[in-house]
Amino acid sequence: MNHVVETSPGEFSLYVGGVFASRTPANVRTILGSCIAVCLYDPVARVGGMNHFLLPAAKDDDGFEVARFGVHAMDSLIGELMMRHKADRRRLVAKVFGGGHVLDTAHSTDSVPERNIRFIRDFLRDEEIPVVAEDLGGTWPRLVIFHCTEGRARVKRMTGTRVVDALRVRDTSAAKETPQYGSVDLF
Amino acid sequence: MSHVLIVDDSRTIRMQVRTVLEQEGLQVTEAADGKIALGLAPGLNPDLIITDLNMPEMDGISLVRALRGNASFPRIPILILTTVTDQEMKDKGRAAGATGWLCKPFKPDQLKIVIQKVLGK
Repeated sequence: MNHVVETSPGEFSLYVGGVFASRTPANVRTILGSCIAVCLYDPVARVGGMNHFLLPAAKDDDGFEVARFGVHAMDSLIGELMMRHKADRRRLVAKVFGGGHVLDTAHSTDSVPERNIRFIRDFLRDEEIPVVAEDLGGTWPRLVIFHCTEGRARVKRMTGTRVVDALRVRDTSAAKETPQYGSVDLF
Repeated sequence: MSHVLIVDDSRTIRMQVRTVLEQEGLQVTEAADGKIALGLAPGLNPDLIITDLNMPEMDGISLVRALRGNASFPRIPILILTTVTDQEMKDKGRAAGATGWLCKPFKPDQLKIVIQKVLGK
C-alpha cells in the first residue's frame, strides 16, 4: 500500500504508516481517528513534514516493544527532514494531533488513543522537541492539513457517522497489523 | 566483558539499544553524535560501535570514515543502525568501511544475533 499519494500538484494525502516531508511548498493532509500525526518544522531551513502512526495493540508486558514502532515513525520523519531536506533536529518544533476515542467508548487510561497520546508526549519531552501546538483526545476524528514550508497546520474536527464508521474499521485493522522489522546486511 | 559504543542523536533510541545490549551482558557507553563518539573512542577502545546515520555535527558515514582513517581502529566492527533503506546509502556505508547495515525498527533478538556474530562469539 502507498502511504503517500500526490492527489494534485503540491497536494499530498498521508495514510497510516506514512511519512512525508518537503522543502518546496506542499500541503500534506491526513484523517485521524485513534492515530497520531506529528508535524515537525525547522523554522530556519523552512522545511517540514508529517507522519501518521498507530502503536500496535500491546499485551501488558510488551509496551516497550510496541513503543519501538512509534519511535520508528518519529525517527523516520526526523531522518527524512535531516538527510533529504537539510533540517537541523535541534531547531525542530512539533505540532501534534489525534488520539481521538473513536474506537473506545470508555476513556480508560489504557485505551488505544490514551497509549498513543502518552507515547508521543513522553517521546517529544525526552527528545527535547518543543510542542508548539496540539489537539489531542476527545471523541472526534480530525482532518489535519500541514503546509510544509510555512509550518502552518489546520485542524478540522469531523462529524458524521460515515467517517467514524470508516475510521473504526481502519484503526481496528491497523492496530492488529503485524509489525514489520528492518533488514540486516553484513558486508 | 565486551564494550559497545552506541552513537545516536535520539536519547530514546540509545536507551532502546542499551537495554538490549545490557541483557546480553555487554558494557555500554553512549554518544549523541559522531563528533562526540570520535572524541570518546580512543579512550574507551570499544569492541563494537553501533551508529545512527543522520546526526548533527557528524553523521554516521563520516564517523566510519574517520575511524577507519585512524590507525587504532582498522578492524573494530562498526554497525550502522538507521531508518535509511536506500541501496545507494548502503553502498556508501560499505565503501566507508562499515561492517554492516541494520534497518530500523530492529528486532531485539536479531540485533543480539548480529552483535554476537560481529564480536566473534
